[in-house]
This record gives sequence, C-alpha cells and structure tokens, in this order.
Amino acid sequence: MSDKHSQFSRRTVLKTSGVAAAVGLAGCTGGDGGDGGGSGTENEVEVVHWWTAGGESDAIQALIEGFESEYSDLSVNNNEAPGGAGSALSTEIQDRVLQDNAPSTFQIWPGGSLQTYTESDVLADISDSVWDSEMEDAYKEGVRDLSQDDNGNYVAVPLNIHRLNNLFYNVDVLDSAGVDPSTLSSPADLLSAMETIDAETDAAPMAQSTQSAWTVLQLWEDVLVGEAGVETYEAVLESGVEENEDAVRSALQTVVDYREYFNADAGSVAWDEANNDVINGEAAFMHQGDWAAGQYESSEGFDFEDSWDHVPFPGTEGVYHIVTDSFVKPEPNPSPDATDAWLSYVGSVDGQERFNPIKGSIPARTDVPDDAFGPFLSRQREDFDNSNAQPATIAHGTGVSPQVKSNFEEAFASFAGEWNVDRTYSDLTDAF
Amino acid sequence: MDTNQSPDSDPPTETVSTDGGLPVEATESTESTLQRWRRSELVKSLPFWLPATLLVGLFVYGAIGWNFIISLTDWQGLRRVTYNPAEFDLDNYFEFFGKVAEGGLLGGPQEYWAFRNTFVLLILFTVVALIVGLLLALLVDQKIRFENSFRTVFLLPMSLSFVVTAVFWAWMYNPSSGMINEGLRLVGLGAITQNWISDPQFKLFAVIFALIWQFSGYCMVVYLAGLRAIPTDQYEAAKVDGANTLKMYWRVIIPQLRASTTSAAVVLMVFALKAFDFLFVMFGTQPGRSADILALMMYREAFAGTANWAYASAIATILFVMALGVISPYLYRQYKRGAL
Amino acid sequence: MSTFSALTDNRPDWSRIALYATLLAMIAFYLSPLESGLMTSIKTQAGFQQTSPFVPPLPGQFAIEPWIEAFGRLQSGLVNSVLFAIPATILSATIGSITAYGLTNTKWRGQALVLMVLIAGIFIPYQSVLVPLSRFWTIVDLGSLLAVIPPLADRSELIALTITHTAYGIPICTLLFRAHYKSIDSSMIEAARLDGATIATIYYRIILPLSIPMFAVALIYQFTNIWNDLLFAIVLISDNSNDVVTMSLQKLTGSMVSQYNIQMAGAFITALPTLLVYIVFGEQFAEGVAGGGT
Repeated sequence: MSDKHSQFSRRTVLKTSGVAAAVGLAGCTGGDGGDGGGSGTENEVEVVHWWTAGGESDAIQALIEGFESEYSDLSVNNNEAPGGAGSALSTEIQDRVLQDNAPSTFQIWPGGSLQTYTESDVLADISDSVWDSEMEDAYKEGVRDLSQDDNGNYVAVPLNIHRLNNLFYNVDVLDSAGVDPSTLSSPADLLSAMETIDAETDAAPMAQSTQSAWTVLQLWEDVLVGEAGVETYEAVLESGVEENEDAVRSALQTVVDYREYFNADAGSVAWDEANNDVINGEAAFMHQGDWAAGQYESSEGFDFEDSWDHVPFPGTEGVYHIVTDSFVKPEPNPSPDATDAWLSYVGSVDGQERFNPIKGSIPARTDVPDDAFGPFLSRQREDFDNSNAQPATIAHGTGVSPQVKSNFEEAFASFAGEWNVDRTYSDLTDAF
Repeated sequence: MDTNQSPDSDPPTETVSTDGGLPVEATESTESTLQRWRRSELVKSLPFWLPATLLVGLFVYGAIGWNFIISLTDWQGLRRVTYNPAEFDLDNYFEFFGKVAEGGLLGGPQEYWAFRNTFVLLILFTVVALIVGLLLALLVDQKIRFENSFRTVFLLPMSLSFVVTAVFWAWMYNPSSGMINEGLRLVGLGAITQNWISDPQFKLFAVIFALIWQFSGYCMVVYLAGLRAIPTDQYEAAKVDGANTLKMYWRVIIPQLRASTTSAAVVLMVFALKAFDFLFVMFGTQPGRSADILALMMYREAFAGTANWAYASAIATILFVMALGVISPYLYRQYKRGAL
Repeated sequence: MSTFSALTDNRPDWSRIALYATLLAMIAFYLSPLESGLMTSIKTQAGFQQTSPFVPPLPGQFAIEPWIEAFGRLQSGLVNSVLFAIPATILSATIGSITAYGLTNTKWRGQALVLMVLIAGIFIPYQSVLVPLSRFWTIVDLGSLLAVIPPLADRSELIALTITHTAYGIPICTLLFRAHYKSIDSSMIEAARLDGATIATIYYRIILPLSIPMFAVALIYQFTNIWNDLLFAIVLISDNSNDVVTMSLQKLTGSMVSQYNIQMAGAFITALPTLLVYIVFGEQFAEGVAGGGT
C-alpha cells in the first residue's frame, strides 16, 4: 500500500496538492487523455511514468523540458500513472500492450522486471538506434547488464541510480551514545551498536517501517550482502536460497534480532514517517535507499555531516547496491523515431544532469559533471565510481522476475509480523 | 398481479405453475387459439425481459464461462491467450489444490492460508454477525422510544463503502493513538492493547470484527422484519405456558426466525467471499498469510504485476463454485416453495 | 407492529433502564469509528497525535486544512463517480423495473427459470468475472469506437464501467421490483387487459406510476452500491484522469500513510453522497437492503 515514490516528500506533496486544490474544479476534468487510444502523432512521445510526487515530478519535468529544447520538432505527452511503486503503471501498460496500444515509452525497473515484456517480445532492440559506443562507454557494466534482454540486446536505457545499502544516522544521537559508525564493519557490529544506543539514550536504535513487505525485504537483502558477501547474494538471486541456506537463515535471524531495536510503532508507520524519527532525534539509524536523504535535506537546520550522516551498510563497503529506473521502447511503437530520440536523450549527459540532482539520485552515466550535485550525492558518486560490485535488488525489481519478486514480497509480508525464520525460509525455498 | 398465484384471473386454462415445464402439447389441438394467444403473450413480453436477460447473460454467465475456459489454458504474461481445446487441462486447479493440500498445522504455501482464512472469515463473520444482528433486533423490538433513530444508526455502516470503512478502521486499530487501544487504556485495560492489524495473531480477527460492525445492522433489519411477522398470540401463548422470557425466546421466537436467518446468512456469506475491497485498502495486495483470502489472492495473481491470468481464473472459478455452493440450495428451496 | 407490549408493561423500571443503557452503548460503539474519524479530521497533525481520537480538538489544534487538502485530492474522483454512478443507477433501476414487469405480468411458462438465472446473478463474486471482463473491455475498445466524439472517447473507461455496473445491477433491481409487482392488485391489470390495452400500455399507464416508491428504493440502494464499489473500477480504469472516488481515496491513503487527519477527511468526503442519501432516505435504503436478501 505504501510507496516510496509517491510519498517521497510529504512536505512537497502537501504543497503541490494545495495548489491543485486552489486550481479548483476547473482542473478536475482536465485529463490529458493519454489513454485515448493512439491519439498521438509520430512527433509526440507519450511518456508514462510514476514520478508524481513533489521532487520527482519536478525532476521528470526538467528532463522533458530539456528534451523539448533539444528536439524542437518533437513534443512530450507526459502521462503520469501514480501509485504503488509502479504497480498501477504496470497494470496500465500491460493492458495497453495487450491491446496493441502501447505508449511510446514507459518507466520500468530494468533487469528482472523486463522479463514479462521480453518474454513476450514486445520491447524493441535498441542496440543500434540508441546505444552507440559513446553511451556504452559511459555506463558501468552492472548497469549495462540490466539494460539487456537474455540475448544481450539492449532494450532499456537507465536514467538514474539510487543506492540501497545506506545506513543513515543522527549524529547527535550517536555521539551521546558514544558510537562511532565508521567502526562498524558487519551487520553484527551494528547489532551491538544498537544495544549500546538502547542502553545509553532514549532514542530508538533503528527507525524502520515493517508495515509493508519491501522495507523489510530490502533490509534483509543488505544484511545478507553484509554478512555473506556479494557473491552469495548474487547466487541467491540467480538460483534461489537453498544452496545458501545458512547465509539466508542467518540474515533472517539478524533482522529478527534488529527488530528488538526498531521504533515501537514500526508496524503502523510508513518509511518516511519512521525517517522523521531520525530527524527529530528519536531514532539513531535508518536503513533505506538514498531517496531518504531528500527528507533530511529539506529539513531546516538538519545539515549533512553536522546533523545527519551516512555510511555504507556495515559489511557492504565497496558495494553499490543499485536501484535504477529506465525507459524502454515497446513494439509496435506509435512514434518510433521520436521514441529513439527520447531514449537517446535519457541516456545523454544533458538529460541526466538535469534530472538527477532534483530527483536526489546519481546519474546512470559516469561522465556527468559533478557541479550540480550537492556534497552528499557527490560522495555517493565517488563511492559509485570506486565500487567493485553493483548488484541488483529483489525489492526494487531489478534482480529477479516479477513472479519471484511477488513471491518474496508474499514471504516477507508474513515475515514482518511473525518474525519466524524457519517459516520464512521455507517460504523462500518456494519462491523460485 | 402475480398471475402465477392467482389462476382464477385466467379461467379458461389449467392452473399455471412456475415449474418451468414445457407447455402441455396434448391440449394443443383443442385449444389452439388459446395456445397461440399464450404464445404471443410470451412473444409480447419478450422485449421487456429479454434485453436485460441477454445483458446479464453476457456479462455474468458469459464471463463466468469465459473465465473457466481461461482457467484451462496456461495464459500468462503479455502473450495473447490462445484457446486450443487440445491443450485445455486442469493443471491450474491441480496446482492450487496441491498447494492447499500441502498445508497443515505448521503452515504451508500461501494458497493453503488463503483457502483456510476464507473459510474462517466466512464462518466466523457470518455466525457472529447473525448473533449480533439478532441481539440488536431483539433490543430494538422492545417497543422503545426513538426506534427509528436507533435503527438508522445501526444500519448506517452498511451505507458506507468498504474503502471508507477500511480507512476508518485502520485508524481505529492504530496501536499508538487509535480508538481501540485508547479506549482500552482509558478503562484500565492498557495491558491488552495490541498491534491489532500488524500482529499476525489478530489481523484476520480485526478484519472480521470491523466487517461485523459494518454488517450486523443488515442482520438486524432482516431479523426485525422476521420478528414482526410472528403473530402476537404466540407470545401470549408462551406467556400462558409460564415460560420465562429467555425460554420463550429460545423456544418460540428463535425457531420462527429460521427463514430470516437463512436469507441473511446467504447474503453474509456471499459478502464474505467478496470481502476484497476492505482487505485491499487496509493491507494492499500483500496482507501476509495471516490475513490473505482467495478474493485478494485472485486479484494479486492477475492484476498486481505477475499477470498469471490462467491461475487467477482458476482461483476465481473456485470462488464462484463456493458462492454457488452457498446460494444454490437456498435458491432451490425458494423455487420449490414457489417464492420466486 | 410491536410484538409484546403486554410483556414489557409490567416490568420494573430498571430493566427498561438497562435496555436503554445497552442500546446507547451499542450506539456509541456503532458511531465510534465515525466520531473518532470526524474529530481526527478537524485536528492538526500535532493535534491528533497528542490527543485521544474521540475528543474534540483543543484550542489551537483545530484545522480545516485536512478537508481542503483531501478535497483537492478527491475532487476529480468525485466528478467521475457522479458521471458514472448516476447513469448506471438509473439504467439498472429502469431496466430492472421493465424486466420485472415482463416476468410478472405476463403469462408464459419458464419465467421462474429466467428469474432464477437473473437472481443468481446477485450473488456472483465479482472475482469470478474479472479476467474476462478486463479482456472484454480491451477487445471492445470503446475508446476507438468513440474516437469521433473526443469527450466521450476520453471517458470511455467510465462508459465501460457504467455498462458493467448496469449489467450487475439489473438482477437485484429486478428482484426488488418483482417483489413489489407481485403485491399489486391484479384486478386493475385484468380490467385493462380486457379493454384491449397492450402490455406496453399497461406498463406505462398502470405499473409505472405504481412503481414510484420502489424506484426510490432501487435507485437509492443501487446508487449506494455503485458509488461504493472499488473492485470493478480498479480493474477497468487505468487512465488516472478517469479515477473514481473510491480509487482516489485508496490512493490518498497509500500516499499519506500517517496523515490520519487528511485520510479521515477524505473518507468523509468519499462517503458524503451516500451518507446524505442514507440520512434522507434511510427507510428506502433499509427496504432495499432487506429486499436484497430475499
């Protein structure tokens, strides 16, 4: 039910919808008719995406403006499909693909999520038309892999990269507990640090939301990477949990141990609300993708390095656990050439430089100038450039097929609440 | 105006019954004009009921048949569905029931839980809602003042959308500042406050409790109608017998309400099978095994990204058969009694 | 209508007091979700976090903003719901009335069978038709069929939803009207028939005027059902400019998980039309509800 994308910043949400309310009834029938069945022309790119809330909406707007000024003869039909981290979008797109009425392009997590589409051969091979060698050179291998179908043909263009394996913290809370986060080198270290914080302060050692499956799932993913290493984690993505039973169980157990130190209302709050506890000094740590930093940066008097800071999740140094969004070209396409132009622009320095600072993510390309990015994102970019592994994720669709992702969510929806390692492990064995 | 029950209005013919039987051919030679007239009656009434019947036939029964056919295929993802009778099989049903059968006391696949929870919801919800509704009806039936206002309030939740009531109850159940826990703390029962809708022990029961809140008013209305159809002299007779109030209710009144109970139970069970909206709004498509039900699972398989159309259709057919199991005995009895 | 005044008259007063106390306690229980929702909806964020959900806002914690905010999020859904729910309600009630008439007033065998087929339709779980339904409205592409009339083409999903709800509303409406028509004195109809009136004339002249009270019941009951539905809407509507209000509310709660004041205001705004209808026409609604079960 909750969705990281659509509630990215509640403050901005409030602002935007306030404006919407002021516009009044006049706006309510002003649909863009994007689903009107091929009403567009060859020169209009219909872009379907789920970036509807505050900052992310501004980011896609900036991208569209950049595209329209670069290709003055082309225009964009901006079709938002909010809700459920793209679940509404995937339903809409699947419907339209089944009707032969696909949009020019749509947002999708690359990698595993593409499987539904590539299996049915509805994504165009854009190896020649979009992925020229200049572009290939600018992307890291892990990201390039995600953009290809099983035959190694490029079908997607990644636009941005979020990092998942972050441990954010409130500097004051850690200081008063006497915990130095830079010394934490494993998920077990984090556990003992949380014990200390629990003993020394009134704050909850870790802010977490267990209300929906994905926040717990992604925590388990990074605990697994931290405990067992990237190879084991990728082996699990590849072939299931059984060959790595001990590692999988141990990571589940660690999450159960962490649970003692979650905020008391973890079961009834969303992740961004839990994140407020970090801002208010009521919680020490927060494991979350770096979209969470947007909340810190928009909090007055809560400054990077002084009030909040960040380390890679303990045990995952050198890993950049990536969450990335991409655009694809469905076939048959209502505007083939214009779509290629859009995809090329999505993969360009200019496009990514416009989009990412506003979105709070780093560019998928490595050669975008640093100037527009603040100190936090610049540090993340540095980590990305120096990273030796860029694994995909389960919770954010890149690492496994939609079916496996759904099975994992099913298992973790029960795990969050039961906290039963044996049962969850047995659920996971059925997930593949 | 029901001619079926007033044969005297149509003197020249034998009694018309609604047994759906074919016209009696033997009388045709002697009553050919009459037969023609009657047939034209059928013809003349066609424009009135046929369009609706066709629309319902298409959208309801056509769709159910189509759904069953889809469940025989292996349609999945964005491929076009192909209907090749040679490839039709019951694999989806075997898969489903195989998974249900794997379940046991200690757990099992999600299918097992969804199946089990559907029955728990069906039975617990129906029984408790009936009891609460009966109690309300008995209370309201005591010649009270402001009877209308009381009835209005009890039935009010029934006029609300599941979406609305799920939003209200999610707040009621909020562990830190929801009404339920606040109320418990207020009366000194702070010790039994719970995370009602995140703790797997309570999730399903929390849902059932809220649904009972929403539907007991409906049961009250049905029972009130039943109570008021009971002749007053039966109360008097029971009183003369020297039965005390409780005994009288148990022996005289309750048995008379059997028809009300049946019809209310049928409606409640069907609602329980459909109780999708409430869970969907409260938990999304992934409620966890403790609160998963078939209606939600069907939606999740088809429409939440995995696009397992054929498998979802099989679950849908199973739901349909369950609903049929509830209503067909009821409808058959109504039909036999000539109540249709 | 009272059942046993004789039994209650000579009871000691305390049992009446206990009776009313119980009833009032039940009233409190039935209204508590609404009351706590209403109070929460007019509090500031700090207000509903710091005070009990059932107490009115403290001075300084009163806020109307949640309602404005929620209305802003729901207004297009409200308009869409009105656009599809009213036609679907009127259509299903009208067709239900005509159908019920065709199955009561006329004499031919097999009526009961047709009726049973229709009535069983009331009880069908919507899930069992969802996949074919979504396929059907994909194949019957109203959007392109109506392409010549752009305003309708943009709203084609709502039209599909209207037709679907009409089809699923006909059974219950037919049942309601038929129960009513069975109770109408048949001598009037016979007289008209002997005068040579056609079936259509009888319907128009005699039955329709007598149906007005039942139309009120059917319209109110159907409007409530259709307005309140979520499942058909989420399956048939993909263009978010066509979202109906229950979808908008569901999305609102998904994106404002912890802003309970806005959620509660949104729930009230969504429920307002049905609540108003219920408060004004409670009797008819009760009749529809009771009729739906028989």
